[in-house]
Amino acid sequence: MGAPAVISLQQWDRRHGELCRAGMMEPSYGGPLGRHVQDGDLRLCELQFDNSPAALRLWNFLLSEEDRLHDARMAGKCIVGTMKDLGTVPVLAYALDNVVAFYPDGAWWTPCVMRHSDKLLRVADSLGLDESFCPVRAMAGAFVTGNHFPIPDMLLCSVGAVCDDFSAIAQRIEGLGHPIVWWEMPPRRSPAPGEPTVLLPTGFTVSPQQVAFVSRELRRVARALEQLTGQRLDATRLQRGFQQANKVRQTLHELRRLAYTVDPCPLPALEMLIAEMLAIHFCSDQPESLAVLEALLDEVQQRAQEGVGVLEKDAVRVFWINPVADLRVMNLLEKVGGRIAGSDYMFCHALEPIPQDLEPFEALARCALSDPMVGTVGDRGQRACQQAKDFGSEAVIISRIPGASHCAYEGDVIGKMIRRELGLPVLEIEVPPISDTVEPALRTRLEALMEIVHTRRRS
Amino acid sequence: MIVAGIDAGSRAVKVVLLSTDNGTEPGVLASDLEDSSPDQAAHAQRVLDRVLQEAGHTMQDVGFVVATGYARHLLDFADKAITEITCHARGVQKHLPNTRSIIEIGGQDSKVIHLDAQGRVEDFTMNDRCAAGTGCFLELVARRLGVNLNELGELAEGSKQPATISSMCAVFAETEIIGLLAGGQAPCDIAAGVQLAIARRIASMAGRRLTCPVVFTGGVARTRGMRRVLSEAIDHPLALSPEPQLTGALGAALLAADHARSTTI
Repeated sequence: MGAPAVISLQQWDRRHGELCRAGMMEPSYGGPLGRHVQDGDLRLCELQFDNSPAALRLWNFLLSEEDRLHDARMAGKCIVGTMKDLGTVPVLAYALDNVVAFYPDGAWWTPCVMRHSDKLLRVADSLGLDESFCPVRAMAGAFVTGNHFPIPDMLLCSVGAVCDDFSAIAQRIEGLGHPIVWWEMPPRRSPAPGEPTVLLPTGFTVSPQQVAFVSRELRRVARALEQLTGQRLDATRLQRGFQQANKVRQTLHELRRLAYTVDPCPLPALEMLIAEMLAIHFCSDQPESLAVLEALLDEVQQRAQEGVGVLEKDAVRVFWINPVADLRVMNLLEKVGGRIAGSDYMFCHALEPIPQDLEPFEALARCALSDPMVGTVGDRGQRACQQAKDFGSEAVIISRIPGASHCAYEGDVIGKMIRRELGLPVLEIEVPPISDTVEPALRTRLEALMEIVHTRRRS
Repeated sequence: MIVAGIDAGSRAVKVVLLSTDNGTEPGVLASDLEDSSPDQAAHAQRVLDRVLQEAGHTMQDVGFVVATGYARHLLDFADKAITEITCHARGVQKHLPNTRSIIEIGGQDSKVIHLDAQGRVEDFTMNDRCAAGTGCFLELVARRLGVNLNELGELAEGSKQPATISSMCAVFAETEIIGLLAGGQAPCDIAAGVQLAIARRIASMAGRRLTCPVVFTGGVARTRGMRRVLSEAIDHPLALSPEPQLTGALGAALLAADHARSTTI
């Protein structure tokens, strides 16, 4: 298979031919990466990819999601769009038979992947969702054009302790004739003195009142899914669903542990970002997402065992906060000598196992409430500090998403906490969907951060 | 051995040659600068060749070259590219070793660099998304006021009441300046108002994190009056880096010397 390396799209297409001739077996959605460029995914031409068949499978799985959704529609399956909620409702949906849940918010990457040729942001502009909103406004454009995902049979959207602009975007979509079942996710409240305390999977505490409230909300969501599918979401189904979701989470847990700690780095930042995202949406096929992750984990374990990787041994260990609107920036980090050593891509809670010894809705409610994003920025900063410490990070990058209301001030607060508690250098950057025009400036910042760490290492 | 530092900035190419013979502290052999031109790499090479020639040397004598500045990666004859942040810090350290904060205003961006007690870069803030806090804003205003950039500071010194430039964007600020001129505002007041606007923008970027001593460097530091205005805006005494426009190139040359020394050892 050759040594691990980071290669271009052209190199991948050549390699794909070689691997096929050598007998590589591919799933139904396999094929050369270059075919996605024909479909308009132009940004792929400018990205660098891991050269393993497991990474090829990951990319093909990701980039064939729309086909999978259309196939599901043709096959008469129920399609459920789970919006904003990061990782909770898909677990409910996949506990049912013949249901495919997906994450319409994922369209926020379409303008990047298609280099704006999709015109989704322009459509969003015409709907009054201009650039003062998060790039997730592309989702509204996708609902209007219908060129990406099929219109779901049901839309479920959390509201409350989520970013304000997201709610406005979802409301606009509802106003266009796409009814949404809203459910409330309250901001996490620490128990008052004397009030009983519930410990959440991510280590935060919350009042039992809030767990009960979110449980009720999730039961309401479950009833809506039952009405749609005519199936009952009983305890057996739910436990089975939890088990499947937990397999994905456990695989990701091990993948992250190895990819973020082993030296040399066994898997590039870009593939790890895509892989982590599978925890929240399963890319419209939960069993296959597990198979894709297991293949990646096998590859990473083998590389770790052989002591080989894709980056230089002394790459600067960076803890990364928030996903980037332009995937190319993950390549850039590695180009300037960095590597990911820990991440908070806004859904840490979806990486924690769902407790299976609790009443199912209470277990899910606890998971949902343990989302660092629904608490204070201080909570999120605290967790970032802990994770950065655990992963042995040498620097922290906080990536702002232009227009995202949850990002406006959090960088400053989290940055101060990290400097104070860990003494690590912190860099705050803003990454637009296509970052080419700001690339020199981004590069200077990233390089300067690497230089700071190298100077520290020397002294 | 001779080493070179080249700061290929957006506004000017700066070159510093250092002599590192006999294991002594590197000494400046020669330096110079020229306005930038579109072909940054060829231009930087020409300036370096000229400076070498004037010092009685050739490229063969140069042991190590560090490039910094906006076009640092374009200089393929350089042995290493290092950011302006690290280079300015090193350059300032040479002259003012106790420095804890650096304000650098260049042609295209501005930076606030924080150093720890050992002089290592601890953190930095950078503005490169808005021209209003950079040297190109001063250039734009000088052009609009019909004076040379070097005369702008002198012009501002004649002001009794600086004009209020409220726009935070250089493009809108230019429109505002046209309006002020049309309204009869004295050019000296406009020049002083622009200096004040830049200083306030930098102060806002620096926030409350500045630690003394604070040093001012970069091309804009050469503008008369700018240090005083900036010092007032940040509410801290502000030392001027010697030959501020060359500080980045000096730092690059010092880092080249460090590198040459470590590889020789």
